[in-house]
Amino acid sequence: MKLEENKYFKAVVKNAWPYTVGAVLLALLNITLFIANGSPWGVTTPFVYWAAWIHETLVGPVRDWVYFNNPTHLKALDLTFFTHGGSLMNLGIIIGALFTSLAASQFKIRKIKSFRQVIAAIVGGLLMGYGTRIAFGCNIGAFFSGVASFSLHGWVYTIFIFAGAWIGSKLLVKFFM
Amino acid sequence: MAEYRLDCLGEACPVPLLKTQKKFAGLNVGDVLIVEIDHSCAMKNVPEWARKEGHNVEIEETGDGEWEIYIEKAK
Amino acid sequence: METKTTVTERVAVRPGRKKKNQLPAAIVVLLGVILFGVMLGGKSAGLAISWIFGIAFGIVLQKSRFCFTAAFRDPVLTGSTSLTKAVIIAVAVASVGFGAIQYAAVTKGGTLPGFVSPVGWHVAIGALMFGIGMVISGGCASGTLMRVGEGFMMQWLSLIFFVLGTLWGAHDYSWWKSIFIDGTSGVHLPSVLGWPLGIVLQLTVLGLLYILADRWGNRQKS
Repeated sequence: MKLEENKYFKAVVKNAWPYTVGAVLLALLNITLFIANGSPWGVTTPFVYWAAWIHETLVGPVRDWVYFNNPTHLKALDLTFFTHGGSLMNLGIIIGALFTSLAASQFKIRKIKSFRQVIAAIVGGLLMGYGTRIAFGCNIGAFFSGVASFSLHGWVYTIFIFAGAWIGSKLLVKFFM
Repeated sequence: MAEYRLDCLGEACPVPLLKTQKKFAGLNVGDVLIVEIDHSCAMKNVPEWARKEGHNVEIEETGDGEWEIYIEKAK
Repeated sequence: METKTTVTERVAVRPGRKKKNQLPAAIVVLLGVILFGVMLGGKSAGLAISWIFGIAFGIVLQKSRFCFTAAFRDPVLTGSTSLTKAVIIAVAVASVGFGAIQYAAVTKGGTLPGFVSPVGWHVAIGALMFGIGMVISGGCASGTLMRVGEGFMMQWLSLIFFVLGTLWGAHDYSWWKSIFIDGTSGVHLPSVLGWPLGIVLQLTVLGLLYILADRWGNRQKS
């Protein structure tokens, strides 16, 4: 029998899992990570380190910025991509997704189709990056881990992420579709 | 009993679903809409929407990470 | 004369196109993942743990097509709430575990672990910016990383500007700090309301949101 027709292979590797299965697994992983690492799941703080490392190498120091007065951030400036856990975790997300999409034979280089997608990626990326620094996190750090940490900032974030998504939807339909 | 094609290759969520919803509104009962997509998430949310609306849905994988979703308007 | 055929029959008569089996490539990637993990483990157990968790998050996100962006966007835009409900379940399950971890740490006399950050208008403005950005670019932080791995070039570009955006935000942080953040502090609900009320209140609100999302999803019939 061919592997592709095996029902377990189909259910686990080939087909998508139900959303609820994903939800429970992500929650359990986040709890386990919290126990193992002493701090829950976050995604975007490593991003600012990546940019800061490049900036310090090519442009100049960022150590005098108020943002890097924070001892954790300051210490991270002396690390590298491969000695910083958060960076490796983000790389892991990319490689993990690559692995499962290949295993299902569903990997494909999806080219950018139009100029409006270029604009959308640039504007959307910048807005998200900037937003995470002043909101103290993204959908993972501020919402998922923030609300689960019983933090009020997580709940405030939740209300305004809905508002932002609503405005974004209007803009998307009007300009990017 | 007409058959229509909707090219959503290269489109990111939620564009494929929005285009499908828009196009589908103008179809008659019995018509079939074939939505071509290569966005792995749209492969889940387009059929989910169509099934919830009560239409007949079939998914065919036409290539690596490419799908055709057949939706027959049932009502 | 056209006879009535079902959708299934129409699909069946179509000649299938050639598909490649990418499983061998997946196995190569898996071997690389293990090898890299062993290498990291030789340097530091913590780095290997981070790597393994990243891989696990990536696998779960991709396989379940989990998308935080869709959870916030779809209720209004497409009428679907299935991801909204899933996200509420994720937060509720995590809350129980996080609560236990925090309670254990605090009763032992340690500092409160978890992400509790200052509350103020900066959070509202930042979340608003993030919400607009994630809908336009088709993915939040975790979603963008996952789609980078799936081969979406649009998200490759978006990630580059995401990273630039964080640096821009860090650069302007002093302004935000002096106008909005200074004087605000983190609010940990159980520390204010007491543990039983804090946890019960949070789970009740999540439960109500779930019911609301469920009704909203069933209400919308176009």
